[in-house]
Amino acid sequence: MLAASSRADSALIAASNISLTLGSGSTRVDILKGIDLTVQRGESVALLGPSGSGKSSLMAILAGLERPTAGDVRVTGLDFARLDEDALAMARRKRIGIVLQAFHLLPTMTALENVAVPLELAGERDAFVSARTELGLVGLAHRADHYPAQLSGGEQQRVAIARALVAEPDLLFADEPTGNLDTATGTAILDMLFERHDASGATLFVITHDPRLAARCARVIELADGRIVADRTA
Amino acid sequence: MITAWRLALRDLRRGGRGLVLLALCLFLGTATLAGIGSLSASLLAALDAQSRQMLGGDVELIVSQRRATVEEMAAFAAKGRVSEIVSMRGMADKAAGGSPTLVDLRSVDAAWPLVGRFRLAPGAIAARPHGLQIAIAPALADRLGVKVGDNLRLGSARLRIIGLIAEEPDELGAGITLGPRVLLDPQGVDATMLVQPGSLYESRYRIALADPATAPTVANDLARQLRGAGWSLKTSDRAASGLRRGIQQLGQFLLLVGLAALVIAGVGVGSGVSAYLGAKTRIIATLKVLGARSGMIATIFLLQLAAIAAVGIGAGLVLGAFFPAIVAWVAGDSLPIAPIEALYPVPLATALALALLVGLLAALPALARARLVPAATLLRDSVMQRRLPPLRTLAAMAVLAAALVAVAILTASDRWLAAGFVGATAMVMLVLLGLGIAIRFAAARLPRSRRPLLRLAIANLHRPGAQTDRLTLALGLGFSLFVGLAVIDTSLSAELAGAAPAKAPRFFAIDLQPDDDARFRAAVHAASPGATIETVPSLRGSIVALRGVRVADMKSLPEGAWVLRGDRTLTWSAIVPARNTVVEGRWWPEDYSGPPLVSLEDSMAHALGLHIGDEITVSVLGVDVTARIAALRKVDWNGLGLNFAVVFSPGYIEEAPHGLLASVYSAPASDGAVARNVAVALPSVTMIRTGDIISQIGDVLGQLALAVRSAAAITIVAGIVVLVGAVAASGRARRYDTIILKLVGGSQAQMLAAQAIEYALLSLVLVTVALAVGLATGWYVVVIIFDLPWAPDFGAVAATLAVSILITLGVGIAGSLPALRARPAEALRDS
Repeated sequence: MLAASSRADSALIAASNISLTLGSGSTRVDILKGIDLTVQRGESVALLGPSGSGKSSLMAILAGLERPTAGDVRVTGLDFARLDEDALAMARRKRIGIVLQAFHLLPTMTALENVAVPLELAGERDAFVSARTELGLVGLAHRADHYPAQLSGGEQQRVAIARALVAEPDLLFADEPTGNLDTATGTAILDMLFERHDASGATLFVITHDPRLAARCARVIELADGRIVADRTA
Repeated sequence: MITAWRLALRDLRRGGRGLVLLALCLFLGTATLAGIGSLSASLLAALDAQSRQMLGGDVELIVSQRRATVEEMAAFAAKGRVSEIVSMRGMADKAAGGSPTLVDLRSVDAAWPLVGRFRLAPGAIAARPHGLQIAIAPALADRLGVKVGDNLRLGSARLRIIGLIAEEPDELGAGITLGPRVLLDPQGVDATMLVQPGSLYESRYRIALADPATAPTVANDLARQLRGAGWSLKTSDRAASGLRRGIQQLGQFLLLVGLAALVIAGVGVGSGVSAYLGAKTRIIATLKVLGARSGMIATIFLLQLAAIAAVGIGAGLVLGAFFPAIVAWVAGDSLPIAPIEALYPVPLATALALALLVGLLAALPALARARLVPAATLLRDSVMQRRLPPLRTLAAMAVLAAALVAVAILTASDRWLAAGFVGATAMVMLVLLGLGIAIRFAAARLPRSRRPLLRLAIANLHRPGAQTDRLTLALGLGFSLFVGLAVIDTSLSAELAGAAPAKAPRFFAIDLQPDDDARFRAAVHAASPGATIETVPSLRGSIVALRGVRVADMKSLPEGAWVLRGDRTLTWSAIVPARNTVVEGRWWPEDYSGPPLVSLEDSMAHALGLHIGDEITVSVLGVDVTARIAALRKVDWNGLGLNFAVVFSPGYIEEAPHGLLASVYSAPASDGAVARNVAVALPSVTMIRTGDIISQIGDVLGQLALAVRSAAAITIVAGIVVLVGAVAASGRARRYDTIILKLVGGSQAQMLAAQAIEYALLSLVLVTVALAVGLATGWYVVVIIFDLPWAPDFGAVAATLAVSILITLGVGIAGSLPALRARPAEALRDS
């Protein structure tokens, strides 16, 4: 027990008994029900589950995009359950990178500018130098001045990965990163994602309903109906 | 701040199109305010600059039907250089005979003009008329077909034309004239024999002071000395008072137009910013995911709005600054006075302040909502809860609103009018907002229709994210504005058309002596056998005391006491005059022969605080006549009959020297013959063709209508822009619905029908409000500001409203066409 507690203290993510309820009255839905979870630095974790199992909501809470209805969440040592929106935004800047299924690039900015934004928001002077390097690492140096609408889905997702990693975060979330891509492009993106994860040493947290993708992670957590039903290490 | 600025500019580069509405609204609002302010300032500056010239001196004294006595002349001369001008109307004709025409006769002495320069056109044979010479307006030369060197017959004299008038310095101050000008000297006017006891003429004495600044003091001194002698006084700051009043009246209307444009701009900015930031929700959420704080979000978008607002406001200020020059260029000679083209910083600064305040106030709620967009929006489409902005935002809005109201009222030329407008607008906006909420509430509780299109249309009014309250406000204000302007425009048009009533007399005859009545009738009947002639006695007099208190001793005159200034035309009658109705008191018996009684026009009596039984004293040619008020009358001033504000009972007053006024109802075809016959039989009688009066009134109304329509056009454009913007914004909000309906097999026609039903339902509800607000506003402008009869064309008003609704439907439908035409897959990808 003492060992478990000290393990939780040093963990990158320590969530205990978190629940999330949306709506009220007749529209009330319990999304997450008493989740306990600890993730160590450098781990690669797959959150596996069918649609509606609550995996994206759990990621949202762990990434500071949503606050739980109840429970404690400590991420990189910060109590996410008690931080307000602005404090959570600050926390994300340097610590957390997020890749989403629908890419969510800023349509009015070029690929390079999209990658530079997190550093600019953090006040980094050489944001564009770092962004150009990161874009090169995902193989898109030649597309730096293109707008998202001028890029293919695969290219957009690579820009999103570069944007998530440019600030060298401790924690990288990827929510169905290949959901909007064809199989070949998806595989290439995953190869690149894991390659960049290995190189950066960040903790990788992949949300997926694809067991083959989950199998590429060192640890797989299965979610069903808002509860963790399995947690295994490869 | 630098990061925010960089991100703002970057986003604007490709995503600023949505701010066109904001820029356009601020441009139109600022241009209207700055333009109206600059134009009013330029016209008043022109009036001030020319006021001494328009008056023809520093002080002007006017008396009717007599000239100054030797003592009075001495009193004037003691103050400064004096000039005498005698003016009257007369009939001029070619020496060989022809068709006599009404002229405005001015006899000027050698000292005239005291200020400015009199100039004849090239080709004149003398510098100014002497003895039996005249200078005439070019219009008279054209009308009679005469040239320099020809002779004209005026009254009993034959006078030689020595030149055409090119420049008459005090022309503007003369007010409305019914005929072209004829200038001559005192010897010339004596030769015409037109100045007879009882004939209608006016003597003006202008004084040029060594120090023009002392004009008010000098005027006060003279007023004391001349008390009770029938004089009215003017100083140069009151020169061209009719024109000044006209400009002020127009200024009041333009003030309302400016404030309306401002409100509309505010609504447009509000809906424009809201739609723009609504479309940016995902970008905002993405930025938040990437670590942007809410303060950074607000700064980025505030900077964007500021940049676009600067362009809109800047362009509006530039256009506004050049507005007087543009008006002078477009309107040219049809303006009563040429505006002084200069930069007027006060109206520009006022427009800038108002536009900034309105822009910020309207944008603040949307900015506050943008701050609150949660990062999780990216994962889960969420409809923002409808709730009040945070307390801090509400406090800031209250401060901005207070500043806006203060600036709008304190800088207005008429603060009460501005305050009333602000109050009324706030009330209307509250009503519309309440109505919007009520529509949502009612739509949500209506039983579900079995017809899918109607069900969809009603659901669109209350579903989460519905723009119903915003649309209600924009459409309600837009429709009200259009109704108001239609009311004003059709009333003006009716007045323009109605200036020539069907049963108007063809002529008025003035300066008819009682002894000449029979000869006059004979002359008219010889030319037009069936003509009807009405004559009434007329004499000039001034009211010198009310209830025993001398007017000259009153510290201040009551508001609306125009009747106390100078002489008025009076009459007497045994019976109630035609077109008059007794509304208070009793008319005297036909054979009344007791002490003098009098009947006053009711609004005049109210303005003077007079009641039945009170006494007034009227000075008629130096003799005071005191009479008791027996009856108050309503007078139908419309039409062109002979009407009098003051009517005495017959008897004592008949002893005073008097003339007759006649109205002649003759056949239009015999106009020329009637005028000729009367000119031959009675050369001193002046025949005024009603057409000349109508054309003068028509000119003034035409100028007013032009100004009103020009100003209204800008507001209408602003209104349409806002309407289009509001409908387009609400269309964007339902784009997703359109795509999904298309996906499940909905036809374009069905979706268009659903949208048409929704807008039609909304418009029908708003028609009542628009009619109430528009009619009330129109009534205020027409009746209170312009002092014109209330005669809107309800057919045109209804048509205006119908067109407004059709525009709304058209815009709504046109706005959804791109989504309807797009292939579902393409549209889904974009959405």
